Amino acid sequence: MIDNYLPILIFILVGILVGVGPLVIGYLLGPRRPDSEKDSPYECGFEAFETARLKFDVRYYLVAILFIVFDLEIAFLFPWALVLQELGIYAFWAMVVFLGILVVGFIYEWKKGALEWE
Amino acid sequence: MIELWNALPLVIQILLKITAILLPLLGMVAYYTYAERKVIGYMQVRIGPNRVGWRGLLQPIADAVKLMMKEIVIPTKADKTLFLLAPMITIAPAMAVWAVFPFDEGLVLADINAGLLYILALSSVGVYGVIIAGWASNSRYALLGSMRVAAQIVAYEIAMGFALVGVLVAAGSLNLGAIVEAQQGNVLTWFWLPLLPLFGVYLISGVAETNRAPFDVAEGESEIVAGFHVEYSGMAFAVFFLAEYANMILIAALSALLFMGGWLSPLPQGWTGGIWVLQDGFHWLLLKTFFFMFVFLWLRATFPRYRYDQIMRLGWKVFIPITIVWILVVALAVVYRLPPWWSA
Amino acid sequence: MGFEKFLFYVFALITLWAAGMVITRKNPVHSVLFLVLAFVSSAALWLLLEAEFLGIVLVLVYVGAVMVLFLFVIMMLDIDIATLRAGFIRYLPIGILITAVMAVEIFLIVGPSNFGLEAFPAPEPAAADASNAADLGRVLYTLYLYPVEIAAVILLVAIVAAIRLTLRRRPETKFVDPSRQVRVKKGPRRIRLVKMAAEVAVPAAVSSAQPGVEENS
Repeated sequence: MIDNYLPILIFILVGILVGVGPLVIGYLLGPRRPDSEKDSPYECGFEAFETARLKFDVRYYLVAILFIVFDLEIAFLFPWALVLQELGIYAFWAMVVFLGILVVGFIYEWKKGALEWE
Repeated sequence: MIELWNALPLVIQILLKITAILLPLLGMVAYYTYAERKVIGYMQVRIGPNRVGWRGLLQPIADAVKLMMKEIVIPTKADKTLFLLAPMITIAPAMAVWAVFPFDEGLVLADINAGLLYILALSSVGVYGVIIAGWASNSRYALLGSMRVAAQIVAYEIAMGFALVGVLVAAGSLNLGAIVEAQQGNVLTWFWLPLLPLFGVYLISGVAETNRAPFDVAEGESEIVAGFHVEYSGMAFAVFFLAEYANMILIAALSALLFMGGWLSPLPQGWTGGIWVLQDGFHWLLLKTFFFMFVFLWLRATFPRYRYDQIMRLGWKVFIPITIVWILVVALAVVYRLPPWWSA
Repeated sequence: MGFEKFLFYVFALITLWAAGMVITRKNPVHSVLFLVLAFVSSAALWLLLEAEFLGIVLVLVYVGAVMVLFLFVIMMLDIDIATLRAGFIRYLPIGILITAVMAVEIFLIVGPSNFGLEAFPAPEPAAADASNAADLGRVLYTLYLYPVEIAAVILLVAIVAAIRLTLRRRPETKFVDPSRQVRVKKGPRRIRLVKMAAEVAVPAAVSSAQPGVEENS
């Protein structure tokens, strides 16, 4: 079974090379004239007012946590989908319970407004 | 170490096969950029590029040469390692996904039994390039853009994952070749019909994942310039561009494979009458992929941009309920073996 | 067997090196990225063990979701790493001592005496078309169904806790709810034209007034 994964390993390494290659070509062929104006970060023509770090916005953290939970749900759904036909209606109701519990969580999120404006 | 040497010719074989997949793919990516400009041009009642070469066909080559000659500007106080790492992290998964893609019956580089899962995992890794690019640029516009893109990608990845679970329930296997086999028959037995909502969700999520219009708010040229890759120039920018178009081709090819029967012919076996072109083959896969690639361009030319909160609402509040409900519907159909798709 | 052993050593060394880098880098974003590398090479090790489903799900969930969360938090917090690391050298000896004790304990428990080839002979390599995920599914949704449902409850608790701890209403922000925007219906009640009286009296002799000087009522 794992013999099939060797091409994948090599492909990933080749993929990284496809990323490195253009950058190397760019370094070799392109000019290199660093200049303080050219290298300064873009801010509509002005100098940067403050540090580039943003104030911490907790909505991103919440989106990431909800993503983790739903990703785990998908991870549980994958084996179930494969054996559903074998296991029949009992597996279906088992998953309905599983999804039901998580749908309760989803409705809670919705009502609380965690899915709003971001 | 002797075993290492014995493995070597196999490695050379694999490398040749990889080149056979990647070279046409990179060529297709380059000419997809040309096709985009031409198609969108004609949709806007103008001709696209037509100066470089006959009818502008050498345009991608000219673009590539131009980008190679440009300086890669690294902004002051930017994290140099991460700045150069970000394009590599973006393109490596976009390329590595093609290892499990079946181009015809049995014509696949790595016929693993968890193909679909592998594709989903690599798409998840793709979000890192965006986040690191934004952070490493030491520019608050880049960071803001990249955070928003990351949140958007993450929301639509859930919708895509659920849509793929639906396909899985219908097909009963994670192996991409087996999923195509499960759609045997004619155009009406392909998965687009029983899984119609999931098909729509998958296609739209695919557009949102690749940050294409109308979901390109974080890349919108008129808003935050170029978003997370505003500080990138020259070949570093070219790598991001390549990765984006490679991802678009991947989504188009996956839609063709998972929902439209891949290399299967739309006519049932009895009707093809021995004509080679009408039977199953790689050309059907190519045709369907081209159709979906055209749909990407069509969407860009037609629709205005969605606002960011509208995008997030669509991903969380509309797609997730639709996909969960439809997964359960398909599960019932599979368990009770409803004809005509699961009557066997 | 030789090539697999070679791969095992390569991935194991990468994992160890990446883990060492995680705790020694000054830049926290670099630490997180090295942790990502450690997870990816761990996934490769699990694939070598023929745990196909778990290896790929490790990349999907851990690298794809949990590490993204870490990155979000670290990027937005702007941690001042210098002050955090001020006492590092002072605690180094006792740190090394505790690490050595833990390593010896782990080796004694999980080492070859308890888990070696005499106690657990190497399993047969799986058949070429064995589906690891399907095997897992068969066991999960029959024998271990109850733990699966408990896992759902744990995830529910995670959702509720995350929302309770972090969601803060900002009453002063005005925003348009896209759901309401989408539900508008064409009709006479969608737009109302209202005639209002002028709020400000317009001075009579406007044409000869000096620029910038006007009466406000």
